[in-house]
Amino acid sequence: MSVNGDTSMADGEHETEVMEPGDEEDILLGGTPKLVVLRGATTHAVSFQIEKEDHTLGNSLRYFINKNPDVEFCGYTIPHPSETKMNIRIQTWEDTGTTAFDALRKGLEDMIEACDVVSEKFTEARDEFEKSKA
Amino acid sequence: MAHNNYNGYAGDSMEVESTGPKVTVREVEPGRCDFVLQSCSLAFANSIRRVMLAEIPTIAIDLVDFEINTTVLPDEFLAHRLGLIPLNSVNVAKDLQYTRDCTNCDDHCDQCSVTLRLHVKCTSPENLHVFAKDLMIVDGRNDDIGRPVLKDAARNGPLIAKLRKGQELKLSCIAKKGIAKEHAKWAPSAAIGFEYDPNNKLKHTDYWYEVDAKDEWPVDQKNAEWESEETAADASFDPDVQPSAFFFDLESVGIIEPDDIVHQGVSVLQTKLAEVISGLGSSDHGLNGGVSPDPYEPAPADGYAYGARGGTTPYGATAYGSNGFGY
Repeated sequence: MSVNGDTSMADGEHETEVMEPGDEEDILLGGTPKLVVLRGATTHAVSFQIEKEDHTLGNSLRYFINKNPDVEFCGYTIPHPSETKMNIRIQTWEDTGTTAFDALRKGLEDMIEACDVVSEKFTEARDEFEKSKA
Repeated sequence: MAHNNYNGYAGDSMEVESTGPKVTVREVEPGRCDFVLQSCSLAFANSIRRVMLAEIPTIAIDLVDFEINTTVLPDEFLAHRLGLIPLNSVNVAKDLQYTRDCTNCDDHCDQCSVTLRLHVKCTSPENLHVFAKDLMIVDGRNDDIGRPVLKDAARNGPLIAKLRKGQELKLSCIAKKGIAKEHAKWAPSAAIGFEYDPNNKLKHTDYWYEVDAKDEWPVDQKNAEWESEETAADASFDPDVQPSAFFFDLESVGIIEPDDIVHQGVSVLQTKLAEVISGLGSSDHGLNGGVSPDPYEPAPADGYAYGARGGTTPYGATAYGSNGFGY
């Protein structure tokens, strides 16, 4: 991918959907895809719109993405309280090979990992507590 | 994928080495679990709290069909009370289907619902109390899902109604899987105490006081002692200091054990993340995918328009008003 972020999206005519409609594996929620790339995206600066998510995911995902040193900016918003949509904006430094897509994926994977650790540590702590009581 | 050697924890001295978060269980009693989560961000701890409150699937009565109701209570009133009765939800996440996703049936079946019946009539001059224990599971599944949880000493469960002589109540209920985001009756946790910085060292809050805030505001002693000694109360505000320990006090409704709530909460959060990853696609897709409809354009009439049938919510279709039950 070009570093300057010049893509076919430059004319901003259309939204880009990451998933092809009709794919068997599409996650469709009542007819809408889980994730959509909003208008005006370049390789290093993308706004994603995620369906049926809120602050539960948004705030901590934002945090994990921001921890990546290749990320210049990451923020999220819930544009309207009556819509179950969550927008997340990611900009990565253009002199790095990390695209906004990479940064998002990395953030998601890191958070899954952190979840695993918490789950494990909780089990350990609970067993330890039970042992200390017995 | 392009990466530096960033491991997910770099550049943040708050994070404890590579060992990541730390958990300490402080107190456990039936239906309650008190634990401390350390070395993770406030955002992450809050996500876990939110997910345990509102997004763990459980089972609750969703549709009630009244055959006879000669009690003083109207049908709607009783239906609402029935919905709130705690039903055993252990393994609901993996062993029960959402009715809306069930491929096995057109309406509902054993794999996506539990049917409970109630038939009581008062024949004595004394008032008859109807309890949750009087709900009978029909054609039970061979597990405990949907059984009313009876935690009181007398094993009665919640009181549903009182019947005078001659009054009768006959109904059948369909209990379905759902989450508390759609309706609070599906909540697995009664309350989750969540606190950080009990001594307000970080000054994230500014206490109102008459003479001395310390004397006038309550402090959770157990949490306050967990943290190191208080620093000077008049130290200036440092916006860069991050909270380090999060105190959870998880109280279960009784339908799922508290430790299970934690594990399921984490796994629900992971599922959400995995869904976004899968929505992101598998390979280097760039920006040349298909054209998607403008998310801000009105939805197609046959598409996801919420409430199209009077009974859908963004979190799932409910059958209110769409079949013969409707309460």
